[in-house]
Amino acid sequence: MNSVFKHSVPALGLLGLALGGCQPNIDAPQISAGSATFTTYLAVGNSLTSGYADGGLYLDGQLNSYPNILSQQFAQVGGGAFTQPLFTPAQSNGSGYLKLTGFTAAGKPITANVTTNLAIRGVSSANGQYLYTKYTDPVNNLGVPGIRLADIQTVGYGSVAGNAFFERITPDASAGQTYLQRVQATVGALKPTFFTEWLGSNDVLLYATAGGGSPSPTAAITSTATFTANLGLVLDALTTGGAKGVVSTIPDVTGIPFFTTVGPSFRATLAAANVPTAAPFVYTTGILAPGQPNTRVAGTLADIRTGGVGTLLLTLTSSDYAGLYGQPTGKYWRDYYRQLKPSLPATVPNLSVFLLAMGVDTTKAFGQSTGNPFPSILVLDGTEQANVATATNAYNGIISSAAVTRGLALFDANTYFRGVATGGQAANAVNNTASYVSGNIFGLDGVHPTPRGYALVANEILRAINAKYGSTFQDVNVNNYRGVVFP
Amino acid sequence: MTVKILLLAGGTLLGSATAASASGFQVNLGGQKNIGMGGVGVGLSLDQAAMYYNPGALALVRDNGVQVGVNGALARVSYRSGDGGPQRNLQNSVVTPFNFYAGFGPKDGKYKFGVAVYTPYGNKLTYDPAWEGRYALTSIDLQSIYVQPTFSYALTPQLSVGAGLTILAYGSVNLQKDLPLPTGTGHIELDGKAKTQFGVNAGIFFKPSDKLSFGLSYRSKMDAKVENGSVTYSGLATGASAAAVNRSFTATNFGATLPLPAVAAAGIGIMPTDKLTIGLDAALTFWSDYRTLDFNFSGNNGNAGAATDANSGLVGGNSVSSSKRYYQDALAFRLGAQYKASDKLYLRLGTSYDFTAVKDGYVGPETPDSDRLTGSAGLSYHVTDNFGVDASFLFEKLLQRTQTQQDLISAGTTDRVAGTFRTDAYVPGLGLHYKF
Repeated sequence: MNSVFKHSVPALGLLGLALGGCQPNIDAPQISAGSATFTTYLAVGNSLTSGYADGGLYLDGQLNSYPNILSQQFAQVGGGAFTQPLFTPAQSNGSGYLKLTGFTAAGKPITANVTTNLAIRGVSSANGQYLYTKYTDPVNNLGVPGIRLADIQTVGYGSVAGNAFFERITPDASAGQTYLQRVQATVGALKPTFFTEWLGSNDVLLYATAGGGSPSPTAAITSTATFTANLGLVLDALTTGGAKGVVSTIPDVTGIPFFTTVGPSFRATLAAANVPTAAPFVYTTGILAPGQPNTRVAGTLADIRTGGVGTLLLTLTSSDYAGLYGQPTGKYWRDYYRQLKPSLPATVPNLSVFLLAMGVDTTKAFGQSTGNPFPSILVLDGTEQANVATATNAYNGIISSAAVTRGLALFDANTYFRGVATGGQAANAVNNTASYVSGNIFGLDGVHPTPRGYALVANEILRAINAKYGSTFQDVNVNNYRGVVFP
Repeated sequence: MTVKILLLAGGTLLGSATAASASGFQVNLGGQKNIGMGGVGVGLSLDQAAMYYNPGALALVRDNGVQVGVNGALARVSYRSGDGGPQRNLQNSVVTPFNFYAGFGPKDGKYKFGVAVYTPYGNKLTYDPAWEGRYALTSIDLQSIYVQPTFSYALTPQLSVGAGLTILAYGSVNLQKDLPLPTGTGHIELDGKAKTQFGVNAGIFFKPSDKLSFGLSYRSKMDAKVENGSVTYSGLATGASAAAVNRSFTATNFGATLPLPAVAAAGIGIMPTDKLTIGLDAALTFWSDYRTLDFNFSGNNGNAGAATDANSGLVGGNSVSSSKRYYQDALAFRLGAQYKASDKLYLRLGTSYDFTAVKDGYVGPETPDSDRLTGSAGLSYHVTDNFGVDASFLFEKLLQRTQTQQDLISAGTTDRVAGTFRTDAYVPGLGLHYKF
């Protein structure tokens, strides 16, 4: 009896396998275009649209740009080729970018610039910036890092004196062409049936990332009048041929790791060293330059936001200087002088005159004394945050109503990124958060998304398209896109 | 036969089937005759398997006997992500739930006693390694063996009661999933054995006439409690990021408790002629006891440097993990019939419908549960008056079920994967019985 039983078990197994040949089938969902046509897609925007990441534009970032991800989805419903101004494999590191090389013993990330396989062809005699290997064939992705809506009618923006990334894709013969004219010409030539438009972030971001302290005119907040007018011009250009599309609001930048990383870690480091939170923290507010008021504000460490408490946001760029708190040092001022030097008037011929003009005494304790304050450039204070919020809300109101007026889909990036900043975004059992380095969404510059972040953005845009045009695009599996590359 | 020998036999042969004929990870494969009849048995006294279905009916089982049965359960789980990509299929494996019964008593006496060994809960799934839910689960193997000494007493020729002491004699869990490390994909395996637990399985059986019988049964809840299970990793970070990444993975041990819920059932038996037996059961499994699956991690493998309380017992930086289940009590209805074609041949047919234990938004890959419909057929051939062979075949269809990522976000269950699951299960079975 026992042997009968033993023999029957494999037999049962075989029977089971034979019967189990019938795997149940789950039908693949039908992907449809709905009321929009995705044959020819044109993307217009800034660094976010170009695939800029980790403080630079490079091939891997371009390949993972949200427009490129979208174009792969559009291909399922007849979308055609989507050409980007890609760097060549030999120059795949493009402008150069930050990479993670390791961690300190305390767990702080260490970054370094990538300096090989760059696409740098020279230095502009006009403004000293790097110029990149030209790519002058027609492109479907007109994302230009650094561009503001305020810049779209600037003549010469594509020249060596303009924006190096726009210069790169502008044929020499048309160096005077404005960005708006380029958009108009591209619409005329490609006749896009669908577009995405995501401009406007830099009209407030550049102010914010400079702590509201940069004297540079490009770091000023763009007026709502200019914003409204220029947005209208871009959308007019994009819709002249009857194309449908998506416009995106701009995210509130104060939730990005650029502003949320250094403050809390600075506070934690000082707390571990038993520095009381009532210790002084002196900083300047407003524009930081000779001839400016350079007003000192005397606060305490408790003013620096950590765990949602406190007002002051320290920029990611302050990480090199925060550790100097309390020391008699002129490091920041020397660095800042070197940076400002080309634009300083003849009345400020050297560092000591500069320090005198700024009212800085580098023998005083950095960040603790009015003589050697923490610079405005590295601090986004309450007033400046309010300026950012006011501009962001005004811009988003303008963008939303433009989308409604023109019957376009709207991706509310502001709402989306605010959600990400508070709760993260889980997908396929992996949680992605807005944490610096470890959160998967933001790259090493603390501002621009990783490929994972761009894939999440693409999914949100697809949802906006589905909602407006009745199409049925699926999400992409964001786990197929990387976060920060760990060594 | 001692319990120990039974356990050895069970340990080698017993697997357990997922998707085998009841909600959640319940396995309702108690006896070959019953399986052929859609799983009915609470209101019947067919054979020694009454110890599983309704211990109260044992006293009215006519013969003494020993019987064994085994099923080759093959679940075909299909999955399709909401993010495109191909349909993913489970790696196929045959699991073999097994049962053994021996029941004795004086001829025409008022009582019977016996022992039962069966697998009321179990689950085994191994997903395609590349599947979208790999960071939620790559495989699960959950086994339980109940051993149940049973005593049943006929109060009157029409009414009998019975009870068994259920012993969770063996329980094991093995859970594996991939880790989404920034340095690449890692892997974690949790493996543990459950402590022995005790419960009760009791029933009442009432047979007012030759044509009618009624039964009620209740099997109590037991907790499969794992203490000091092992945690092992592979594919953790190497190189410059090793310390920064691996310090979140220091745990070497885990503890967890998985409820094996109570079941209450009522059944009716109708014998319109002496050749035809019809059974009708309703069963309620108290799955609502399964609220969360909590793991407590402990131990320190030194990945975070010198061990401190703060850096011990970490998996992904946390020393506890809690995953929502929020199961609901699940009803099942079963209907089956047996026809005596000749003195040697019995034919059976049955069907059942089980409502799912898992609410929308809570379906996870370790139990891709759904409402399920089964159809079964079976036969017995009596080789001699004492010895016979029982065979059954059960087909089970779990209705296709889809969850979106938005559903998971709303339910707070983003630790699992969105998409569509669909399962068919094929469960052939064979048994031998010897009566005396």
